[in-house]
Amino acid sequence: MESLEIPTFQPRLRVLNREQALAIHGAALEILEKTGFKMEHPRALKMLADRDCEISDGDWVRMPPHLVEEALKSAPKQISLYDQKGAKAIDLTGENSFYGTGSDATFTRDVETGERRRAVLKDVGNFATLVDGLENIDFAMSMANPEDVPIDDIYVYVFAEMVKNTTKPIVFIADSGRDIAKIHEIASSVVRGEEELQRKPFILNYSEAISPLRFPENVMEKLIFCAQKQIPLCLPSGSNAGGGAPVTLAGAMALGIAENLVGLVVHQLAGKGSPFLFGPNVSALDMRSSVVCYGCPEWSLTQAALADMRDEIYGLPIWAFAGASDSKVVDAQAGAEAMFSIITALLSRANLIHDVGFLEYGSTSSLEMITMANELIAMSRFYVKGIPVNDGTLALEAIERVGRGGPGSIFLMDDHTYDHFMEALFLPKLLDRSRYDAWKDESAMDLYKRCNMETKRILFEHEVAPKADVVLKEIEHILKRT
Amino acid sequence: MSDFKGLTEAVIKGDIQTAVAETQTALDAGANLQDILDKGLIAAMDQVGEKFSTGQMFVPQMLRSAKTMQECMKLIKPLFQEDELATKGKVVIGTVRQDLHDIGKNLVAMMMEGAGFAITDLGVDVSPKDFTQKAQEVGADIVAMSALLSTTMPAMRETIEALQEAGIRDKVKVMIGGAPVTENFASEIKADSYAPDAGSAVIAAKKLLSIS
Ligand code: B1M
Repeated sequence: MESLEIPTFQPRLRVLNREQALAIHGAALEILEKTGFKMEHPRALKMLADRDCEISDGDWVRMPPHLVEEALKSAPKQISLYDQKGAKAIDLTGENSFYGTGSDATFTRDVETGERRRAVLKDVGNFATLVDGLENIDFAMSMANPEDVPIDDIYVYVFAEMVKNTTKPIVFIADSGRDIAKIHEIASSVVRGEEELQRKPFILNYSEAISPLRFPENVMEKLIFCAQKQIPLCLPSGSNAGGGAPVTLAGAMALGIAENLVGLVVHQLAGKGSPFLFGPNVSALDMRSSVVCYGCPEWSLTQAALADMRDEIYGLPIWAFAGASDSKVVDAQAGAEAMFSIITALLSRANLIHDVGFLEYGSTSSLEMITMANELIAMSRFYVKGIPVNDGTLALEAIERVGRGGPGSIFLMDDHTYDHFMEALFLPKLLDRSRYDAWKDESAMDLYKRCNMETKRILFEHEVAPKADVVLKEIEHILKRT
Repeated sequence: MSDFKGLTEAVIKGDIQTAVAETQTALDAGANLQDILDKGLIAAMDQVGEKFSTGQMFVPQMLRSAKTMQECMKLIKPLFQEDELATKGKVVIGTVRQDLHDIGKNLVAMMMEGAGFAITDLGVDVSPKDFTQKAQEVGADIVAMSALLSTTMPAMRETIEALQEAGIRDKVKVMIGGAPVTENFASEIKADSYAPDAGSAVIAAKKLLSIS
């Protein structure tokens, strides 16, 4: 008998048809050409003026669509991030998805006491260590805005702390051209040289323009720095429905995409061919509390739409969010919201997915939330793999054996089960399926408690590959200079 | 005429046309200007604030009511003699130095305006010096600062120091807010008040100036 070779369909979510995608893209181009934007960086302004843009009122720019077309052509369709030892870790292209944490939360839920308190530098280290120890979290962000470091160099300190506590790629924040240079210096030191960093970047900068349509000088300074040094970068703008942008999702997307395209154009003019990760953050402002949500379906929907636009139009890898919540504690709401965004991000094939572990609309971070998300991501990845159909999985022989095997013959005993159960089924680690009595005997723990224990175990047991002494010395030296 | 029910209802509903017509009717009937303001418009906005904070109204509905009130004010403001218009108090508001978040600050400003405060909005990235100068210039009762970044919170302290140095700290009340700001931080930097959201910002401002 011939063996069956059928390609596996992998479940995939679509939310826009081609007409919708083109209409939103067209609206974005129209915003740039007719409404324009405010460019506060003199050199960027000059670059745009030199390239057919119309300037009025000093720094108001109107941009012709052909500049966008050119930038879309020159920006690379694939961005690779490496771990800090030089192994390829994140291949941002096509349908690949990677999850990581978020940045600057003000508060954190203490892992020992559960109390909400201001974050300190040690927390940044703990978050990085946890990321390092979790198999489904692919990159680290700071998760904290610590109160115990000098404010002017806060982003340099948190970067150094991450480097010391993880080998995985790092997505970092900087304030301006000044601190980003120091961060670049530390990153170069980690891989022993600027060229090596350029060849195998383990860092990506997350900067933000200001919705609506404003490009401050310090933000563009960072963008140009990254373009010239070939540090991958993304530049979402906070075009949240009802907040920085119109309340209707199509308009909010058009605005956010327009802002992203400005970033892309300046970026490609400053460093043609440099890597640019595409994508606005289009969440929603809650009309009761006025918070900008981190657990709402709108954000998941707009990023799924963006994934469709990537496939139809842009071809560039995209930036996304998941695994966060507006709940104040790791509770049922947090679990529900985290799972909703995690599975939809994967089903729509978002590429670089951040903010895993945020509570309270991004104001508070939680280690347990990340540990829980790690499991939810595993569950989602299992689902999205689909159902392979072939001789082995159709298992006709096993059916024959067990079916005809007489009394006592069960699948559980069959070799086919033994050979396949590991990849055929999802085997949770933290989601509880124990029988009632066993659960009760194990102190009737809920998921939060199990995540808390697992987090503490990882923080205690996981060993992060140590950095060489010279690297640590150089980091200390750079920090002292700051 | 002391019944402003029609006007109040129209403002609460955010029905600009009716509210403006009601204001005109009241003016034509010779109603007292301060009464139209206090018993009509501001009374309506008090109810709006109440409905919003108890979850019976959404942000855009509340803002529409504020806009409705402003449209009505356009009719009555010119009829007041200069200085005669009794506002609840003068507020100089802005987002602090190096902070560019403005949506929350704008919301607070709109709500305070709706409650009858006279607002001077300095925008974002406002230096301690600019806060101080403007406060002196307009004779502010309240200096209101917003910060969304923990890295810009120190600028609040510096602004308070600048007010001190300019010798006007005891003449103004200082109010602060924004996501990373806490009650503790407010007392640490000796601000007079802290509010977690726009609704409570109005209540706090009234309390600061001992008005209801
Ligand atoms: C005077 O008395 C008062 C009283 C009450 C007061 C008050 C004053 N001011 C505010 N209130 C209170 O009443 C308001 C109404 O109820 C409330 O105001 P809010 O502003 O809280 O609420 C608004 C109505 C809606 N909320 C918002 O508008 C803020 C939402 C979030 C998502 C946010 C947004 C939208 C933006 N951001 Co920014 N941003 C985040 C925010 C996370 C979050 N979910 O809160 C936050 C604040 N941002 C942050 C960061 C880090 C940054 N942001 C940046 C930029 C931006 C955008 C430009 C993209 C955009 C702002 C657009 C704009 N026009 O304002 C950058 C800094 C820019 C700068 N220099 O200011 C950048 C540094 C990011 C970067 N990589 O560059 C984080 C701050 C962390 C920290 N502890 O410092 C952050 C918590 C997100 C996060 N978790 O990382 C109350 O706080």
